[in-house]
Amino acid sequence: MRAVWTKIKADLTHRPMVSLLILLTIAASATLLTLATATLTNMSAPYDTSFHELNAAHVWLFFDRQVASRGDISRIEALPGITASTGLRPYVLSRVRLGDNAVWVSLRAEPADRPTVNRLLITAGEGLPAGPAAGQHVCVLGKELDDLYAIEIGQAARVTRADGREVALPIVGLAYNPMWDTYRTSQPPYVYVSEATLRELFPDEESWGWSLGLRLADPNAVTSLVAQVEELLGAGAVTGYTDWRDVKRAAAFGAQINFIFLGAFSGFAILATVLVIASSIGSIVLSQFRQIGILKTLGFTRDQILWLYLGQYLLLTAIGVALGLIAGSALAPLPLKSVAASLSTAYRPPLSPLLIATVLGITTGVVAVAVLGAAKRGAETPIVLAITGGAEPVHPRRPARWGTPGGLAMPIVVSLGVQEIFSRPLRSLLTGVNLTLGVMGIAFGLTLANTLDGYRANPALLGIVYDAAATRYRMSDRQAQQLLSRSPGVEAVYSEYQVEAEAMAPPSPGRTFSVRAVEGELDAFPFPITEGRCFDPDRYEAIAGRGLLDWLGLEVGDTLTVTFREGAGPAVGPAVGREVGREAGRPVSWQIVGQYTEPADMGQVMMVSGSLVSRWVKGVEPASYFLKLAPDHDPGALRAHLADRSREDLNVVFVDQTLPDAVRTLQLAIYGLATILIGIALINVFNTSLLSTREKVRVIGILKTVGMTPLQVVAMVNVNAACLGLMAAAIGAPLGFVFTRAVLRWLAHAYGFGPIHVLLDARAALLLVPLMLLVSLAGSALPSLQAARASIVEVIAHE
Amino acid sequence: MLIEITELRKSYQTGAITFEALRGVSLSIEAGDYVAIMGHSGSGKSTLLHLVGGLDRPSSGHITLGNLQVSTMNETALARFRRSHIGFVFQFFNLVENLTVRANVELPALLGPHRTRAGARLRATALLEQLDIAAHANKYPREMSGGQQQRVAIARALINEPALLLVDEPTGNLDSTNTQAVLQILADCNARGQTLLMVTHDPRAAAEAKQVLFIHDGRLVSSVPGGDPQALAQRLAALQ
Repeated sequence: MRAVWTKIKADLTHRPMVSLLILLTIAASATLLTLATATLTNMSAPYDTSFHELNAAHVWLFFDRQVASRGDISRIEALPGITASTGLRPYVLSRVRLGDNAVWVSLRAEPADRPTVNRLLITAGEGLPAGPAAGQHVCVLGKELDDLYAIEIGQAARVTRADGREVALPIVGLAYNPMWDTYRTSQPPYVYVSEATLRELFPDEESWGWSLGLRLADPNAVTSLVAQVEELLGAGAVTGYTDWRDVKRAAAFGAQINFIFLGAFSGFAILATVLVIASSIGSIVLSQFRQIGILKTLGFTRDQILWLYLGQYLLLTAIGVALGLIAGSALAPLPLKSVAASLSTAYRPPLSPLLIATVLGITTGVVAVAVLGAAKRGAETPIVLAITGGAEPVHPRRPARWGTPGGLAMPIVVSLGVQEIFSRPLRSLLTGVNLTLGVMGIAFGLTLANTLDGYRANPALLGIVYDAAATRYRMSDRQAQQLLSRSPGVEAVYSEYQVEAEAMAPPSPGRTFSVRAVEGELDAFPFPITEGRCFDPDRYEAIAGRGLLDWLGLEVGDTLTVTFREGAGPAVGPAVGREVGREAGRPVSWQIVGQYTEPADMGQVMMVSGSLVSRWVKGVEPASYFLKLAPDHDPGALRAHLADRSREDLNVVFVDQTLPDAVRTLQLAIYGLATILIGIALINVFNTSLLSTREKVRVIGILKTVGMTPLQVVAMVNVNAACLGLMAAAIGAPLGFVFTRAVLRWLAHAYGFGPIHVLLDARAALLLVPLMLLVSLAGSALPSLQAARASIVEVIAHE
Repeated sequence: MLIEITELRKSYQTGAITFEALRGVSLSIEAGDYVAIMGHSGSGKSTLLHLVGGLDRPSSGHITLGNLQVSTMNETALARFRRSHIGFVFQFFNLVENLTVRANVELPALLGPHRTRAGARLRATALLEQLDIAAHANKYPREMSGGQQQRVAIARALINEPALLLVDEPTGNLDSTNTQAVLQILADCNARGQTLLMVTHDPRAAAEAKQVLFIHDGRLVSSVPGGDPQALAQRLAALQ
């Protein structure tokens, strides 16, 4: 084994360029692998992670102050099955002015000291002051407000006090509350203040609402706990509750598009890494057949040859993986911090024992398989053949024109460059696969970015068919509808309330889900129907999201019988989650006439006519309104008009405010990751060109002997590289697009997202051609110049 | 005078050690000559051949071929010079293995502007027939014997009708039958007016030349007529 070790050291040190290139390939691959694994780690169960880290409550109860007393709170906390409590948390529904925007918020008293249950995750700035500074009147805003109004820390939130005057509270931080329902059209955003501040603003405790967060021994016992509380306090004491499972479902939808895109990125990155390592290392070992033959003549056994190459490459792998882990860890925060923020979870640094083991394991495994496969082939090749034929003997049964430069009817240097590709198909294939993978990586990044652009430009693809949404608080439904439909720039309005329904008949009896009950000028809103047609508002017809159809085992054309839960609509004013005191109604059958892109609850929602639902569910009225605006509408004017006419009772959110949070953050992440992926792909392309050119040095020596000039050498080598680059672009771009589309569609289906519109800008795709040309030429320029300058005597005479 | 070599020196530097391969060689070769250079391994004979053919550059001294100063040419000029004026034949053939026999032979003709594809094709066909390998035109080098490959190398060397054929151990890799055949082809070339400069340590090969130069430790030490392999062998042995 000493001879093997000596040879390993000699190979590594005497061919520094090749060693460096291999190291670069492995380091680049390990970087990509680190990023992919880190992405998956940060995407993994983000809500559960935050929930766990913040020790969130499993249920929040909201009380009717007229019925409940402080003593009742203590009795609830003493109930069996409750493991911890937030204690009584007062809140007040209030109007807050943020810049030019007036918005209804839930002003909530939050302890300054870090509570044990349902802590806030401070995402920017700091939390409420504790200790001596606790008396300062400041506030922390829910990050949902930042998503809507781009809050700057330090700016003031002007809160309308009980006496109607406005008080400016400096904003000291932004926070994520694991129990704030992200379905923001039905729930007011949260603003956190100290109890002292709440008391200062609203001295009359009778105006306070009461809430209580509880952790349960059995997290799934929310419904039975609510029943227990109702039994304890009597009907009406609890006006509503927030079930952590509902919030989780809503959060899952918010994160869904992230999962799809980032999951696709990570999957591709891992696949690309494996293939890049296998093809690069495999082709380098294959190019050393001549050396293997010589070693065998010296007495090296098959096993010694295998150890020789395994030792060399595993040594380089160890160094390369270390470098890759460092580079990947350094790059990861750029895209992944925003991913974590968009998933409302804490960013987890990638370097963990599991990640190191994963990257090291995959890289080492692939290198070992590639090296052993190629070296075994070399070791088993007859010595004479290996020495004389090198890596790959010329295929004897090729059409003669490929072996005849004159037969290609091109200038001789072009002809030789092209001919080289076909004369060694295996080598060309490996090089081509490497280059194609690079192009696929670029196409992948472009497709993800273009698709996101498409969704951003056309929110209807996400199922968002309106231009703005409004939520009323104190005004009546009728007043709201009248005001909205007569406002400047509003072309059409539809209203919506949601009710809970339970499937009555097979195949999935007992399953409950949300139903959107909508009415108004529905024709003006092009709900994206992916199968069938839209429902007729006068008939018992429904359209459903893919998630619901899959969940209930239904198809378009089937009939679904459900019962609605009485009183299950959202409360007028501050919605606080599910309403209690619901009872099952009479069954009613709906024919599912179409499937649409449903943007909530993983598609597990059905949409029907509101006027028909109101016959079955009493006492519910719409509180949410969706607006179609004229193309030339003035958002500022509309907002001012509504604020003025509604006395700032309506919260209005424009679509370009609601979408960017998820999409813009994701887009930044995707751009960041795609840039890294493209960078690594380009390094790989460069490496491949460089290595494949180095292998041709002997042939170039012969050609120079018979009169090829340095310029002709450079031209021939570059033609060869350019041809491979162009072929890779021609194959890799469409393949990358098709692959990306397949992956995205599969993931979209798996997440219940429904059809996904995958886009690739043709101009960007076409730019891949000159890009690949440039990169291939850049990769071959250096070695071609080296080859042109190389001493013929050294190459030929000392061969 | 076809070749005029004056005080040619070539040294190689390996770390602190300088190795002088040629130490002031001067000689003249007339057009139509057939000159063999004999010497032991490391004597400098191959280095001399490489310098004459423009494959390497001398440390000092001059090489003139006709009226061309080889030693002062740049890389591009040297490539054109090799293509037009020199034909090389190597011990290990140095054929391009992914080109067919015909393509290998046509290659030097197609690299320059002075011959058309059709012209190159005609000339290659004639040479292949002349060297009795026309039947193998569409084969690849690996599919042929050593002797056949050496004929292909000779045909390739002759395609541009160079003034000088430089031959490096042409029989070193051949059996006796093929050795005889290759030597006969080279002799025929010379008989048709081709100038040959051959490096060999095989007395039988050297005996085919009209003049044999002996080189030892980088210096030309003697010159004798060819013809008698035994005498050449004895003289070579005496150089030890």
